[in-house]
Amino acid sequence: MRWTQAHIKTYQQAREYVDTAIIPLIPLQWGKSEKQIITMGEFTGYLSESLEKQFTGRVFLLPSFTYLISENMEERVERLKAWDNHFYQEGFKYIIYVTSDADWKAAEKKLPDELLWMPASSPDSFEASQFKRLIEQQVEQIMPIFTAKWQSEPLSREN
Amino acid sequence: MSNEKRHRVSRRQFLTYTLTGVGGFMAAGMLSPMVRMALDPALEAGADSEFISIGISEDELTDEPQRVDFQVELEDGWYTSEQARSAWIYKEGDEIIALSPICTHLGCTVNWDSNENHPEQFYCPCHDGRFERDGTNIEGTPPTRPLDIYDVEVRDGAIYLGQINQRS
Repeated sequence: MRWTQAHIKTYQQAREYVDTAIIPLIPLQWGKSEKQIITMGEFTGYLSESLEKQFTGRVFLLPSFTYLISENMEERVERLKAWDNHFYQEGFKYIIYVTSDADWKAAEKKLPDELLWMPASSPDSFEASQFKRLIEQQVEQIMPIFTAKWQSEPLSREN
Repeated sequence: MSNEKRHRVSRRQFLTYTLTGVGGFMAAGMLSPMVRMALDPALEAGADSEFISIGISEDELTDEPQRVDFQVELEDGWYTSEQARSAWIYKEGDEIIALSPICTHLGCTVNWDSNENHPEQFYCPCHDGRFERDGTNIEGTPPTRPLDIYDVEVRDGAIYLGQINQRS
């Protein structure tokens, strides 16, 4: 399900089945290596959308969490925690952060739930069909992470 | 004299006729797009049932369901977009079965034979929905109707899929 009017209606009828949220983490920067930064964001976007498509009945894809590369990690983590906490309180017991920005790997332990880091590939370097296939393969490999997560108890939050 | 006068059109009559005529045209001008819009979905449905090639031939099929991905062109007004579709397709005797992979519970994507505990079934990883090989939903799992099924046509050995049909 996605952040749209149509999908929120479906959600309201099936709320007890939807317990997982995906938050794409998208970096911003202009004037320096913006091409690379955009590639990360674009790839994260495609991947999140494909995951949503695969698990549409149980997963809600939230709008992207965006941040300036220059924002320090502690602040970012605090802001993301606030998002996480809000949605956790509202019934999303599993929250998955999807990103291609390796900076988050360093902060992984401070995050309340699962970080999914995937190195970005640029759609530039592939044919459209190949790129689609690549994303699908990534999704196939990620699927067990979701199913294993659903087998286990949700992680508890500090407060 | 009086005879001729009777045939004459008075100013009032002339204006009435003209205004009725013009008014009629205006009303028709306003109504016809509305009628067209109202009929549009009915006309669209015809276009929707077209068959498209999915790039696989009949002799590539086995009795084991295999997943085929293909593109459908969708026209929404002036905007044409490509939408990805998939099907699980296999042979049952001489018949070709093509099932939609969309779980009838809440729309996740089902996979064939992907869960160790439930071999030879379609399995939905979201809420453990399960379907038999022919798409029938298994009692006691969340889905309440079978997987949707495509219309199938074979032309010169190539597989074409048509519209998706709901079963109950």
